[in-house]
Amino acid sequence: MKSLRGLLHLQQVRELSLFVILILVLLLFGSQIDGYFSPRTFSRIATTVSIIMIVAVGQTIVVLTRNIDLSVGSIVGFTAFFIGQQFGFNRDLHPAAAVALAMGVGALAGMLNGFLVAYGRVPAVVVTLGTLAIYRGALVEYSGSQSIATRMLPDWIKELPQQTVFTIGEVEFGALPVIALVAVILFQMILMYTSFGRRLYAVGSSTEAAEVAGIPARRLVFTAFMISGALAGLGGFVYLARIGTITAVAATGLELQVVAAVVVGGVNTNGGSGTVFGTLLGAVLVGTIEQSLIRMRINEFWKDALLGVFILIAVTTDSVMMSRLRTWWAARAQKAHKREALSAPTAGQVEA
Amino acid sequence: MTSVTPPLLEIRSISKRFGATQALSDVSLTLYPGEVHTLLGENGAGKSTLIKIMTGIYQADTGEILLDGHPIHLRSSADAQAHGIAAIYQEPLVFPDLNIAENIFISHRKRGRIVNWGKLYRDAEAVLAKLDVSLDVRAQARGLPLAAQQTVEIAKAISMNVRVLIMDEPTASLSAHEVEQLFKLVGSLRKSGVAILFISHRMDEVFRISDRITVFRDGQLISTAPASEVTPESAIRDMVGREMGQLFTKTPSKKGQPVISVRDLGREGVYSGITFDLHAGEVLGFAGLVGSGRTDVALSLFGIVPADQGQIEYEGQAVRIHAPRQAIKMGIAYVPEDRRQHGLILPMTIAANISLPMLKGYVNRIGIIQGRGEAKTAESYRQQFSIRTPSVQHVAGKLSGGNQQKVVLSKWLNTKPRLLILDEPTRGIDVGAKEEVHRLINDLAQQGIAILMISSDLPEVLAMSDRILVMREGRQMGIFPREAATQEVIMTAAMGQAANAERIGS
Repeated sequence: MKSLRGLLHLQQVRELSLFVILILVLLLFGSQIDGYFSPRTFSRIATTVSIIMIVAVGQTIVVLTRNIDLSVGSIVGFTAFFIGQQFGFNRDLHPAAAVALAMGVGALAGMLNGFLVAYGRVPAVVVTLGTLAIYRGALVEYSGSQSIATRMLPDWIKELPQQTVFTIGEVEFGALPVIALVAVILFQMILMYTSFGRRLYAVGSSTEAAEVAGIPARRLVFTAFMISGALAGLGGFVYLARIGTITAVAATGLELQVVAAVVVGGVNTNGGSGTVFGTLLGAVLVGTIEQSLIRMRINEFWKDALLGVFILIAVTTDSVMMSRLRTWWAARAQKAHKREALSAPTAGQVEA
Repeated sequence: MTSVTPPLLEIRSISKRFGATQALSDVSLTLYPGEVHTLLGENGAGKSTLIKIMTGIYQADTGEILLDGHPIHLRSSADAQAHGIAAIYQEPLVFPDLNIAENIFISHRKRGRIVNWGKLYRDAEAVLAKLDVSLDVRAQARGLPLAAQQTVEIAKAISMNVRVLIMDEPTASLSAHEVEQLFKLVGSLRKSGVAILFISHRMDEVFRISDRITVFRDGQLISTAPASEVTPESAIRDMVGREMGQLFTKTPSKKGQPVISVRDLGREGVYSGITFDLHAGEVLGFAGLVGSGRTDVALSLFGIVPADQGQIEYEGQAVRIHAPRQAIKMGIAYVPEDRRQHGLILPMTIAANISLPMLKGYVNRIGIIQGRGEAKTAESYRQQFSIRTPSVQHVAGKLSGGNQQKVVLSKWLNTKPRLLILDEPTRGIDVGAKEEVHRLINDLAQQGIAILMISSDLPEVLAMSDRILVMREGRQMGIFPREAATQEVIMTAAMGQAANAERIGS
C-alpha cells in the first residue's frame, strides 16, 4: 500500500466522493420509495450487482491499459448457454469443472480480442465491437434457436443464489455476491502488489516509457483481454445460476452497465489510473440506481437514459478533476524548480 | 538597392525569456523587399523563438515589430497572416485528405459559405501559374512528394498576399533536384518583392541563395553582413564562439576492453555507415545538428527501432539487438531525450519508477513486490545523487526537470549497465543540476562503464568526451579525438564543410 500511496491519493479522493454520492442516492430513493431501507432491498441489489461486478473487474484491467472490451456481454451470454448445455449433456458435471470450463471458454474469446488488439494493432473499440457481434452470432447459430431451461440444470446451481454465506446485521450475503467480492479482492491485490499490476499501470500511463523500460507492453495488453474474457466467462456461469433460462439474447447490452461501472468507478479511460475497489463502488452505484428505478416503476427508456446521464457526469467530473490536478502539479513542480535554482551556487551567473 | 528602399519589416530590440533561459535578448533585424536574409545558428540559438514571435505564436517580452515603418502587434498566427507574414517548415502542414485547391485556400475566410468548386479550382490554378508550376489542383494532398507539398504551402502564402515569407529549413528533407525547384520558386518570389527569411544548415545553399546573413548564438544576434562579406569559416566561428570556462571537464579514465563495436550500422532511409568502437571507461560524444540521426542510432543500439544494416559486436560477441528487454539483459541502458514521454511514468512514485526495469529483482517467491526493497534502493540513489524530494514515495511527475533526470539516471544505473547511452542528458535542466550530472558521468566512466553521450551542447560534448563522433544527415562525418576537437572543427563537420576537417576514422 505504502509504495503506491502517491498513485492512490487521487483515487482515494475519487472513491470517497463516490461513497458520498452512493449515500445521497440511497437517501433520495429512500425518501421516494416506501419500505426502501429493508434488508431485502440490499440483498437484491447485491445479487444483481454481482454479475456486473465480476465482469467489470476484467473490464477495469482492460481499461487500465487504455483499451476497452465491448464484447463482454456476448461472452457472458455465450458461456451461460454453453455451460447450461453441458449440464444438459451431463447433469453430474463437477461444479469446479463447470466454473473452469466457463472461464476457459471466456478466456479463449478474450484471447482472440487480445491478439487482434495487441499484435494486429487494430483499435480495441473496433475489434471488440466486431467480436461483440461475432460471439453473439455464434451463440445464435450454436443454440439453433433452442434455449436452456431451468429444469435442465442440477439442483446445486439452481440453489446457489439462495445460499447465504454470511450475514451482516439482517443483510444476507448470498453466494453470488461473495464470488464477486472474492474476484474484487483478489484482483485488487494483484494490481496493487504484484509486478503484473505495476506493469499494467505503467503501460497504461505511457506505453512508450514502459517499452523503453523493457516491459512487454503487447503481451500485457493481450493478457488483460484474456483475463477480461475469463472473468466474463465466470460472469456467464453466475448468470446461468441466477437466471436459469438462457436464450440467444442472454446478457445483451450488459457491456453498457459494465463500462458504466468502470467509468463511474473512476478508472481513467485514457489508462493508467483507477482501482478495482473504485469499480466495485461504481458497480454498486449503477446497480442501486437500476434496481431502485425498477422499483419506482420508471419505464425502461428512462432507466437507461438516466444511467447514461450518470456515466456522462462521472466522466466529465473525472476529466475536469484530472486537468485541475495536472495544472496543480505543474505549478508545484515549477515552484520546486525555482527553489532549487535559487539554492544552486552557480545560478547567479546565469541570471547575469 | 537596400540602401535606398525602406525596410519592409523591422524587428527592434526583441527579447524573450522562458523561465530561467533567455531565449532572445535584444535582437534587431531588418528585412528588405526582394531580399533573401538567412539566419544561421546552432540548435537553441534562438532562431525558432524569433520565427514564433514573427508569426504571432509567441509574444515578445520587450521590443517591437514594424511593418512599413508602422508598429504591428501580433497576438496570433491569424494576426501575422493578416499582415502578410507567413512561414513554411521542413515538414509541410498540409491536410492530406483535402485536395490541392482546398489546401491553398484553407485559411481564406471571405470565400462565402458555400464552396464554388469551379471558381476554387480556377483560382488555385491561377495562383500556381503565378509560381510557374503545374500541379493537378484536384489531386489529394496525400501522397504528394514533399517538394510538391511545400509548393502548395508557398501557393497558400501567395494567395494570402504574403509579403514576408519565413522558410524554416525547407530543404532539409528534399532531394537535390527538388532543392533546385524550390530555389526557382524563391527566385520568382524575390522578383515579386517578397522578403524571405531563410533558415538552413546547408552552407552551400546558404551562400548560393542569400543576400545577407545573420548569425545567432545563445539568443543573441552576433553579426549581420552581406553574403559576399561572409565565408563559411567566419560564419561558423560566429556560431560556436561560446564560453567554455565554467564547465566541469572529464578527467582521463583508464580505457578498458572494447564494450561495443559497431560496423557500417544503418537503417534504411534514416542513417547509414555508422562505425565505431567504444571501450570500457570511455565517453564517446555524439555531436551533430538536431535531425542528423544521432538519436536514431541510439534507438537502434537499445533495440527500440532495430538497425537493418551492419554488424554489432557486444563484449566480443556478434549480436542483433531487437528489443529493449534484450538490451537491458545485455547490460545496455538508455536515458532518453524526452524524459517526460519516454523516461518516466509520471504518475508513479520515484521508488516505483526506479525499480521498473528490474521489477523481477523486487518480487518474492509468490510474485508480491517487496516495497521495502524498492524504497531502500530508491533511498540510496536519493542520497547518492541528492535528489531533492521529501520522500521517494512522492510522485515523479511533481519533481523539477533536474531531479526527474536524476531519477531516470538512478533507474538505469540500477540495471547495472556496462554500456550507458545518454541522449541529451542535460537538456532543460539548470546549471547546478547540470554540473552534478557531468560529475556523475565522470564517476561512471571512472568505474569502467562505457558511455555514449548524445548532446547538442557543443561545450558539453567537448568537455565530457574522450572522442567525438560527428553526424550529418544520417551519415558519420568522422571521429575526432578530444585533443583535435574544437567547437569549429565539430561544427564544420556537422554542417558538411568536411573538406576543412581533419578526418579520423576509427
